[in-house]
Amino acid sequence: MHRSAGSSISKVTPVTDTAEAQTNGAARVSLDLTPERREEIETQFQQDQLRNRRRRRQNRLALNILGIILFLILWEVAPRVVPGVNLQMFPPPSGVVGTLWELVSNGDLAKHAWSSLKRALSGFVLGSVIGIVAGLLTGRLQIVRDLSDPVLHSLRSIPSIAFVPLAIVWFGLGEAPKVALITWGTFFPVWVNTFIGVRDVPNIYVRSAASLGASASSTMIQVVLPAALPFIIAGLRQATASAFVILVAAELVGASSGLGYLISFSHLVFRVDMMFVGLMALGALGFLADALFAAALYKIFPWYGAEAR
Amino acid sequence: MTPSNRAAATVRPDANPAGQSKRDIVEIDNVSKLYPSAEGKATWALLDVSLAIPDGEFICAIGPSGCGKTTLLNMIAGFIDPTHGEVRFDGEPITGAAPERGVVFQEYALFPWLTAQRNVEFGLKMQGMSRAERRDRAAEVLEMVGLAGAAKRYPFELSGGMRQRVAVARALVNHPRILLMDEPFAAVDALTRSTLQTELLRIWEDIGITIFFITHNIEEAVYLGDRILVMSPNPGRVQEVVDVDLPRPRQRSDAEFGKLYAQVSGIFHQQGDTGD
Repeated sequence: MHRSAGSSISKVTPVTDTAEAQTNGAARVSLDLTPERREEIETQFQQDQLRNRRRRRQNRLALNILGIILFLILWEVAPRVVPGVNLQMFPPPSGVVGTLWELVSNGDLAKHAWSSLKRALSGFVLGSVIGIVAGLLTGRLQIVRDLSDPVLHSLRSIPSIAFVPLAIVWFGLGEAPKVALITWGTFFPVWVNTFIGVRDVPNIYVRSAASLGASASSTMIQVVLPAALPFIIAGLRQATASAFVILVAAELVGASSGLGYLISFSHLVFRVDMMFVGLMALGALGFLADALFAAALYKIFPWYGAEAR
Repeated sequence: MTPSNRAAATVRPDANPAGQSKRDIVEIDNVSKLYPSAEGKATWALLDVSLAIPDGEFICAIGPSGCGKTTLLNMIAGFIDPTHGEVRFDGEPITGAAPERGVVFQEYALFPWLTAQRNVEFGLKMQGMSRAERRDRAAEVLEMVGLAGAAKRYPFELSGGMRQRVAVARALVNHPRILLMDEPFAAVDALTRSTLQTELLRIWEDIGITIFFITHNIEEAVYLGDRILVMSPNPGRVQEVVDVDLPRPRQRSDAEFGKLYAQVSGIFHQQGDTGD
């Protein structure tokens, strides 16, 4: 991520500040370097750079894949060489791949993954929105902060999973308790990070906005919010992780679909291989969510991470 | 309309005996500012400062840290209130920040999430101006500061000197009556600084604005200012106001320039003798 920021900086040629210096330099250099020769060297240089970058990317991808293969080999060999391991209890990849195929081809895996994703996503969006609004209010308004501080921090200290039984009592076994729990668990990391980001917004931005005629609400939405964005994003990222934890916890106890349900059902019918498929799907979903997050980040906010805060 | 104008014209010479001379756009009357300091004590950042800035003047404030020059600027900007006394702008007490008093800060205060052009457009957007009009006005001002080609770049893609040009453009686009500049060129290299100084003077002469310019650089103050406000710390106050009667463009190598430099420098030495 830092590489992309660095390369865009190196592309910049100051428009005016060094214009003088450049013309002076050119006059001196052109004695032994003709424009054609210079252009030639430049093209060569750019091609080399491009090739190096491509090679580095290919190497990284190759190593990533190699790492996965090494892991699979280790997993395949370990249960067979370690004495006393039952292959039924600790199935190697060769024992799981059939089950994986079965669940993929009959659509069960997609069905469970989709219902998990739907819950995680709706809870995440709801919790994030409430968290950001609460963070803005508590970060900017001293009264709201002082009023809510003890209560919010006490509630935050309770592990969200502890609320699973209560959620079932209140909301039953449908979608509501799961979404509510994920909303709850997403809210706190987003709120805390937004709060810190908003509280620490450089005063100079707020003063700039004031001297440019911004109202209190415009300052909040168009200055404080974007200025706090790096913190908010850190909070959202943290929240995706906690959303998955709560999702599975909620699905383990009272659900008829979802990856957590798949794992708990496998337990009932004693299919450890099926459990492994559920676990792998969770890992893949979590990994994809984070990768998507990172990719979207630099597309939507090209300045993110470029400014040292 | 016409009669009242005529009335104003007859009244004004009484209020301003010089007749043709410009009236004061900023009036600072016996202003003091108390700040809390460590261990619950209080320090006077400014003590009993009075000053009038005529419309169209380029005034430089210079002094060591703690002399209250930034405090003074923040009051004119409307960021802080005086503990005692009054600051008036165009005859009215200042109650808060407003686009008619543009500010350029020492640190880079551009919004890093907006391109140069959108930074410049920000104030116009706050006024509810249409997008097309905003774009035209921003382009015009970016052109004025010599950055027409950098409109689409983010602040992190600009050099220090370019960022301060954008900051000047962001303030100027709102057509302020006064430009308040707090050591705006302190963080750029010497060559860039001298270019920026020359261009600032050009813009000042072109649009006939008032400029309150803080610096810690004597040469910069003598080069730019119509008057130099020499301030001293503990408590912050105005020690002397030096008139710079040199024609522009000024030459740093002139004997007169050197004399004024020595004069301001001498006031600082005096400060060292009496201050402690």
